[in-house]
Amino acid sequence: MSAIELEGLRKVFRVRERTRGFGGALRGLFAPRTREVVAVDGVSFAIAPGERVAFVGPNGAGKSTTLKVLSGILRPSAGRVRVAGLEPGRDRGQLGYKIGAVFGQRSQLWVHLPAADSFDLLARIYELAPAEYRARRAELMKAFELGEIAEKPVRQLSLGERMRCELVASLLHRPEILFLDEPTIGLDVVAKATIRDLVRERSLSDGCTVLLTSHDTGDMERVCERVLVIHRGQLLLDRPVEALRRSFIPRKRIRVVSEEAELAIALPGVVRLPSAPHKTELEVDLRAIGVDRVVAAIVASGRVLDLSVEDPPMEEIVGAIYGGARAAERTA
Amino acid sequence: MSAPAKYLALAGVGARRALGERAALVGYCVFLGSVLFIFARVWKLIGVASPLPGVGPRELVWYLALAEWAVLSAPMVYLAVEADVRSGDIACRLVRPVPYVGAQIAEALGEAAVRLLALGPSAFLFAWFFAGGLPADPRGLLLAPPLALLGSLLWVLSLVLIGLSAFWIVDTSPVYWIWQKLGFVLGGLLFPLELYPEWLQRVARFTPFPNLCWAAGRSAFGFAPVEACALFAQGVGWATLLGLALYALARRARARLVVNGG
Repeated sequence: MSAIELEGLRKVFRVRERTRGFGGALRGLFAPRTREVVAVDGVSFAIAPGERVAFVGPNGAGKSTTLKVLSGILRPSAGRVRVAGLEPGRDRGQLGYKIGAVFGQRSQLWVHLPAADSFDLLARIYELAPAEYRARRAELMKAFELGEIAEKPVRQLSLGERMRCELVASLLHRPEILFLDEPTIGLDVVAKATIRDLVRERSLSDGCTVLLTSHDTGDMERVCERVLVIHRGQLLLDRPVEALRRSFIPRKRIRVVSEEAELAIALPGVVRLPSAPHKTELEVDLRAIGVDRVVAAIVASGRVLDLSVEDPPMEEIVGAIYGGARAAERTA
Repeated sequence: MSAPAKYLALAGVGARRALGERAALVGYCVFLGSVLFIFARVWKLIGVASPLPGVGPRELVWYLALAEWAVLSAPMVYLAVEADVRSGDIACRLVRPVPYVGAQIAEALGEAAVRLLALGPSAFLFAWFFAGGLPADPRGLLLAPPLALLGSLLWVLSLVLIGLSAFWIVDTSPVYWIWQKLGFVLGGLLFPLELYPEWLQRVARFTPFPNLCWAAGRSAFGFAPVEACALFAQGVGWATLLGLALYALARRARARLVVNGG
């Protein structure tokens, strides 16, 4: 049995149309006009137990809406949805015990309380036996290196610290499925890496299924083994992360700040982008050369003060996938 | 672990929040003292004539203290519900295996319990001091706590109901202001219903408002356990009706749920 099964999911919102100007606002007060917005349009997929799947797409693609339908928050307009053998819209109460959820931009903790107190409260809400809860909390506190952090009121924590607490809160009851909605949004590079490693480790050790939405390709590459790409409410692509990387993320961008005004880099597959003095920006074609070789060449050519390796933005990747899909359609 | 244990734990969170906001508690006590001081002076100066035998300015000060006690103890939970709906934070709360409305009520009641305990002695001391002694039949004061507790529960239920209206109107302040003013007038917050014209008294008795303020306040007029039991039963009836309205509204609200920010 699949952990998550979706067949022809459609979610339509009815939203009020805003008309411009004072006259429009006045008309809207007495004769409001509404229109339908199709957020998810016939999405189907299945996820096996223990799988780590990234659900990616640009802003407004429908990924968060899908996640909210799967976690029972929103009801589908049409289609069949099964999560952990339950129907989320109907069995939300039961489903709550089987899933964990982290919404990167929102907090499930009680912000005026220390995180440790929120954990105690969640243990009661999830009806955990005291001994089982104490052991689980100790295990997670150690894994997530919370220590004194858990004793501070949540509102005093940094975003990275809070996110670690949010993850612990969502894992306390050993969920079968973990939904992560933009878990690394707003975090710095180090905090992002920590969260990604922790999610991956916990999924492997607990055997829980992970469905992660993000528009950071790093989340997808470091945590997941499979990727679903959604665009304008429709599933555009479903394939292993490695295959996506080879097909659609063939380039990386390297930014260097150096003591020398200009670095002399001439390698096959490396293109120098317009840069300022002491700042070099390179685009690397991964099909021609590995990032490690380019970095080695940079370090050999001068004194490096700062260096970053970045993926192309998600919008660019989706654009490439969309372009590829349309070309394939035309050929067919 | 049973459902009551979950709600008890959530009530504990509300209680802790109320205890953590010490300045707010002090503020409510000061406000209560100020109101009682002003009305005690006014009633003594103008010499309010009460149609009830044995009820004079002193009993009216006690009435006000007990009615205000019930009202001030109820937290403004509609603001929390409105904020959850507006910000979309309600999404996080809906994932938990505990109903959102039930959780909000439990937290608010925990907060109300702390306020009742903190404001109760203050109301007693201020009323005793400004009224210049206990009411004519102080045994009636023994009936006030359960009626004030029920009054606070009714406030909390109605405020959660107002908060849920955010699903339709977003800004719930107008609904709150109307409800509050009706509560003050038809609930007899400042003056007991007995001082109202007959027709207004009849209108008020068809609403839940007298159970919000007047029921607790009139304990100051004497020891009437049978009447108090009838008022309590009436309050339980209104609480049941409000509970059913909450259930129905929460179901309709879920169908309208559009989470902000995706």
